Amino acid sequence: MTKILFADKLDSCVERWRSAGMTVIGPVQRTNSSMYDAVKSASELDLNLVLADRSIKELFFPQSEPMLRYNITKSEINTSEFLPPSGPRIIFGARACDASGLAIDDPLFGWDYKDEYWFQRRNESVIVTIACTKADEFCMCTSLKLAPDSTKGSDILLRPLENNKGWQVEELTDRGREAFKKVADLLQEGSDPAAATVSVPEKFDADACAEWLKNPENFNSHFWKEISLRCIGCGSCTYLCPTCHCFDIQDEGGSFEGIRRKNWDSCSFALFTMHTSGHNPRSTQSARWRQRIMHKFNYFPGKFSANSCSGCGRCTRECPVDMGITETLQEISKLSQ
Amino acid sequence: MSIEQLYRTRAKELLSSGEVKMVIGYGAGSNKERRRPLFITSAEECDKLVLDSACISNLSGYLLTEGLLSDEKRVAVFLRPEGVRALNVLAAEAQLDTAQIVIIGFDSPKGELKALEGSSVEEFTALITALKEITPETAGEEQLAKIEKMSPEERFLFWQEEFSKCIKCYACRQACPMCYCRRCIVDSNQPQWVNTSSHTLGNFEWNIVRAFHLSGRCVECGNCDRACPVNIPLRLINRKMAEEVLNSFNHFAGTSKTQEPVLASFKKDDSETFIL
Repeated sequence: MTKILFADKLDSCVERWRSAGMTVIGPVQRTNSSMYDAVKSASELDLNLVLADRSIKELFFPQSEPMLRYNITKSEINTSEFLPPSGPRIIFGARACDASGLAIDDPLFGWDYKDEYWFQRRNESVIVTIACTKADEFCMCTSLKLAPDSTKGSDILLRPLENNKGWQVEELTDRGREAFKKVADLLQEGSDPAAATVSVPEKFDADACAEWLKNPENFNSHFWKEISLRCIGCGSCTYLCPTCHCFDIQDEGGSFEGIRRKNWDSCSFALFTMHTSGHNPRSTQSARWRQRIMHKFNYFPGKFSANSCSGCGRCTRECPVDMGITETLQEISKLSQ
Repeated sequence: MSIEQLYRTRAKELLSSGEVKMVIGYGAGSNKERRRPLFITSAEECDKLVLDSACISNLSGYLLTEGLLSDEKRVAVFLRPEGVRALNVLAAEAQLDTAQIVIIGFDSPKGELKALEGSSVEEFTALITALKEITPETAGEEQLAKIEKMSPEERFLFWQEEFSKCIKCYACRQACPMCYCRRCIVDSNQPQWVNTSSHTLGNFEWNIVRAFHLSGRCVECGNCDRACPVNIPLRLINRKMAEEVLNSFNHFAGTSKTQEPVLASFKKDDSETFIL
């Protein structure tokens, strides 16, 4: 017997969590685009998506976040901080790749300076992941040693029932147990079998790629230019990626008064590494694409022992010129044979 | 012989005769529906070229890749009529010399692929002039008509909702053949003319600046609209601006390589007092 949440009880759960003061968030369809967003009732959720177009990261690391307000007068400089909005949240219907992405970024945001904006939100959020029973040709979690039912980064894992009427509940963390205690009477014990998770074929050998990337001789390989010829240098892959975490600090306003903000930034942009002298150490798009791959599969794992990629496939799925991590690592897999 | 076969042969001839140093075309993509830009430099690779009605993207922007045309050698490129119009605009704005470009023209009206005669922009003048006449009717967007009927407040709300999705990835800009500025105004930060933040105000600023900058220049190839990862209907803005420019100035972007830019030219005897 396992704990089961039947789909017809989900709306009552949402209501219960909301009345307990939690913001309920999940995958929703907005105008021609899907994302994780707050909902008032379960009917707003779209749990049939393979994956929301936009990743879960923006719930923890928004694309633009005010940090402080400044005001400079002849006699003094005043600053007042913006603190991250607080309050408990439950994210219902995350995918394993998105939840894993958050866990991948935790050590980064806590490495030397503990990013309070990230951790306040992390500590106040319960991640309820639903194992995938479908995938598309861009999904690649298994190539990154993850799976459609990985528990990394999740507080609760739900396995869809074979009859599609609900989910088996696996409580993974105290935070998850706490949130599900609130709806304990809405769950049932049952023996309904769980549907099989989708089989996602492995597309490349991540270990072999890592070895190839670590070899300094390959840094200047012609490969980088050839693989990135069609890259147009936009930030679509970066901004949809659940693990890309680079940001820029911008003062908005005037010299004497304004708001300092933290905005997403992308290594795909020429401006990312532009020096004030006008010199750009990454002057070509191929150097930028190389940096993106090196960072995710060489530098980041060197420091944090995990690839900075959870295999969601958004980079390729939405790329205007049909590029992405999959193709590059497939080609590197071939080169490393 | 299929048009694809015909053009593969043509590409081979162009490369092996040394007439061009590169052919920019389309190759197979990561799934059946997708095609991706392909850069071919040897005759042996020409069989990788794919041509069918799924070859949608306008490849003309790649011609401005830094250094590509600086050796004065020629490059061949697969272009739809919009792509040829883009070449004309780029030439009119002194961004390239059309003598360096060999056009491999095609179109697929109603999904049926057809080859277009000619290899230089001049040979496409009649076709483009004809487009000027038919575009307003055939490109009529239902959604645009709906927006036209809205009150200014409703229209503002419509765009507010659309722009609130913008994540400022600049895929629209990067995919656009007309967005060739070495330093875009949003990348200038001394002073910071446009907010880089993707809050609603910043998103409005960016998209409106881009709409104005493209007025009379946009050839409506749809690259920006297809590139947008959050599906903002950018084509509607460009369509509207193209209509305005056509109605006000009888200007259809990209009819010739010497066409005067509509928003960058003025006359001393202009009746508008703010001009001079």
